[in-house]
Amino acid sequence: MTTVATARHPYIEALLQNYETPHGGVSWLNERRSAALERANSLAVPTTRDEDWRFTDISPLTKLHFQPAAEAPRLSLADLSHYFIGEAAGRLVFVDGLFAPDLSATDDLPAGVQVSNLAECLKNHGALIEPHLARHVPFGDNLFAALNTCYLRDGALVRIAKDLVRAAPVHLLFVSTRPEIATYPRCLVIAENGSECTVIEDYVGLTDGVYVNNSVTEISVAANARVRHVKLQREGGGSFHIANCGVSLAKDSAYASHTVTLGARMSRHDLNVVLQGEGAAARIDGLALISGRQLADTHTLLDHAKPNGKSVQIHKCIVGGAAHAVFNGKVLVREGAQLTDSAQESRNLLLSSRAHVDTKPQLEIFADDVKCSHGATVGQLDAEQVFYLKSRGLSETRARSLLTYAFGAEIIDRIPVPSLVARLERIVLDQTAAQA
Amino acid sequence: MSTVLENLVNQPYKHGFVTEIESETAPKGLSEDTIRLISAKKNEPEWLLEFRLSAYRHWLTMPEPAWPNVKYPKIDFQDIIYYSAPKPKKLASMDEVDPELLRTFEKLGVPMNERAKLAGVAVDVIFDSVSVATTYKQKLAEVGIIFCSISEAVREHPELVRKYLGTVVPPGDNFYAALNTAVFTDGSFCFIPRGVKCPMELSTYFRINTESSGQFERTLIIAEEGASVSYLEGCTAPKFDTNQLHAAVVELVALDHADIKYSTVQNWYAGDEKGVGGIYNFVTKRGLCKGVNSKISWTQVETGSAITWKYPSCVLLGDNSIGEFYSVALTNHHQQADTGTKMVHIGRNTKSTIISKGISAGHSNNSYRGLVRIAPKAEGARNYSQCDSMLIGSQCGANTFPYIQVHNDTAKVEHEATTSKIGEDQLFYFQSRGIGAEEAVSMIINGFCKEVFRQLPMEFAVEATKLLGLKLEGSVG
Repeated sequence: MTTVATARHPYIEALLQNYETPHGGVSWLNERRSAALERANSLAVPTTRDEDWRFTDISPLTKLHFQPAAEAPRLSLADLSHYFIGEAAGRLVFVDGLFAPDLSATDDLPAGVQVSNLAECLKNHGALIEPHLARHVPFGDNLFAALNTCYLRDGALVRIAKDLVRAAPVHLLFVSTRPEIATYPRCLVIAENGSECTVIEDYVGLTDGVYVNNSVTEISVAANARVRHVKLQREGGGSFHIANCGVSLAKDSAYASHTVTLGARMSRHDLNVVLQGEGAAARIDGLALISGRQLADTHTLLDHAKPNGKSVQIHKCIVGGAAHAVFNGKVLVREGAQLTDSAQESRNLLLSSRAHVDTKPQLEIFADDVKCSHGATVGQLDAEQVFYLKSRGLSETRARSLLTYAFGAEIIDRIPVPSLVARLERIVLDQTAAQA
Repeated sequence: MSTVLENLVNQPYKHGFVTEIESETAPKGLSEDTIRLISAKKNEPEWLLEFRLSAYRHWLTMPEPAWPNVKYPKIDFQDIIYYSAPKPKKLASMDEVDPELLRTFEKLGVPMNERAKLAGVAVDVIFDSVSVATTYKQKLAEVGIIFCSISEAVREHPELVRKYLGTVVPPGDNFYAALNTAVFTDGSFCFIPRGVKCPMELSTYFRINTESSGQFERTLIIAEEGASVSYLEGCTAPKFDTNQLHAAVVELVALDHADIKYSTVQNWYAGDEKGVGGIYNFVTKRGLCKGVNSKISWTQVETGSAITWKYPSCVLLGDNSIGEFYSVALTNHHQQADTGTKMVHIGRNTKSTIISKGISAGHSNNSYRGLVRIAPKAEGARNYSQCDSMLIGSQCGANTFPYIQVHNDTAKVEHEATTSKIGEDQLFYFQSRGIGAEEAVSMIINGFCKEVFRQLPMEFAVEATKLLGLKLEGSVG
């Protein structure tokens, strides 16, 4: 029996007003959904008085009471083709939160690579999913994860069988087409022992209207497996994008994350990586390129729970206009996680006098034989570098744009999908030229 | 090796003794009546009483802060004695000082009559809330410097106190600052007039003596245009089992071209090896660089207290003003420290430097928490921060929480932090050169802290080096 708290926040009240408990289906999932519903009912809505939301005021978001879409407009392949990625072997497309089988492509997948929508998989492979779904992003004290979990109906599943390597990338495309809709995208990636894969999680907005995306991504990396995760956020200019991503790393596994944040009026990305097995390695790259009145907030946690872990993080923000970038990167080394080696960098470039940055790298260390460092810088383009390029015949604008581009290119160049690198470089160059 | 190091650290507190002096003590508890009593005892003017009462009323509405990374049982503010003073007695010379009191200082290694002269230091001794002896006042008065207890300043220079008190740390600034404003009993006041360079280092010794008397010190230092002063504060306290609350407020004001250097060595009782007892040190220290080209520099060596919770800060309001923070915080056994600084850049071309060294041993927890804020109008602001932590043993924790808020695109802000330990190979190298483990550790720690110690006045630097060695005896391995 769940008791519903009486004093709910009007926002949560409104979001859950049409909530219907799903019937049938697997019982463990129903239990998890109802647990999430209970949490969503009892959790408080974060405000800037909460340390985790100190710099991001979500009060504009809490005024919106959008509901999930019942049906999606029909899009043709041609509508989306310029978002597709040539290298990808498989593609799942969700339109306004609903799975679009016509737009997806899963025929060319090699054996051992399973790419399909969760609802379909639950029918046949429930036992494989059960240990992972709603397990890697805890919703106990995370309102948005709880909301996503109670609205969990479908999602994307990528599962790579044991020892399968050299698989082509998988593209998960979430398209928002209409304003005034809330979607709750969900991704689950399961990399079994010794496997290797590249997953591109891609959010695209076809409208500049106001809509809300609240996504949860869970990635489970088994022993000796290797996952490369590209997250591309190019939502529409009026949208809100709240994302929670949880990654669990088993013994000697490796995870590389490349997050590029370009869109949304307000975005928040929480990435929690737990190095649960010995000798796990994580590399986290982030780039936020924002302008106008955009706000991009990135919170990351690198949780070293076992010895011999290694993590490298670099997060860059290029902030123009009156935009606001927030970075909070925590490295936690738990008791006993000896010989941890962790390096973290936060680099921020301010392009205008009204732009601002709040950065907070954080170290919490409870083991003595470790090597941990972090660095943070906030600055502007070096006048001497601009001068040098001008002395070579470039205009002021070109020089500034080129230097800004170079600042961001360090992150983009490491993305393991060449066509995406080329496309992103183009986008960054265009945006920086527009700002310079 | 670890046993050698353990023996090194577990040295009992050398300054743990209680001096029996008759104290005039107010009953336990806090109310408007307590505040009126304190104010009446000190013959304070009406405005100061009102100032205290308004702070108290504000304090009643404030929640106790929960954000620091420290744990302690809830403080019962009604179980504290807010006023205790040695019996009032007029002193004509040092001979008339209570011999018991003088013996206390001797045990502490501060034979003030000797040391004051030898070191050329004017010591304004604060002994449980009331100043009982002031030296070198004459010499300072010749150049126009006012250096006295704050109660005396309230009586003798009310216009100065009224002009500056609470301008840097407003009465409702934070929970403990509000409490301090309501009940502060004494502290130091220092005024350096225009163009005067203080001819000697000013220093004060704080002691907490009467059991369960919280000490609420209030320090106010003002450097007028072109003035400069170096102020030293050293602390030791006797051993008690009940926790003692210490909530001081220090305010510094630097006008145009003025320069204030404030150094602290804090070695209050930290509790025993099991974490029983010890001082709660919840302090608000803030300097205001009010004028152009002014400079405020904080240097601290924090080795004592069960809990240290303080952020000596600089508000860089004047153009081209400079703020500095140099800190060594050492925690051992069950000590907890959440300390750091705030550099608030408001004026143009303001600069700040933060060098923080944290050393944790035993079961202790040491956090650096800092804020660098560049306001929208702070053109050309510059900050450099470096926070290094050293862990000794596997049961302790070291945390870094730097907040960087930049609202101006011409600012340059850099922050770096590292965490390391004393390597077996480093120790081995020393030992192979015939230097024992104990001495090797002490040398490595001193090297680690060198950048900060260099900022301390000479005699403090020597004391600090010794203190660190003493504190860490037995904990490295």
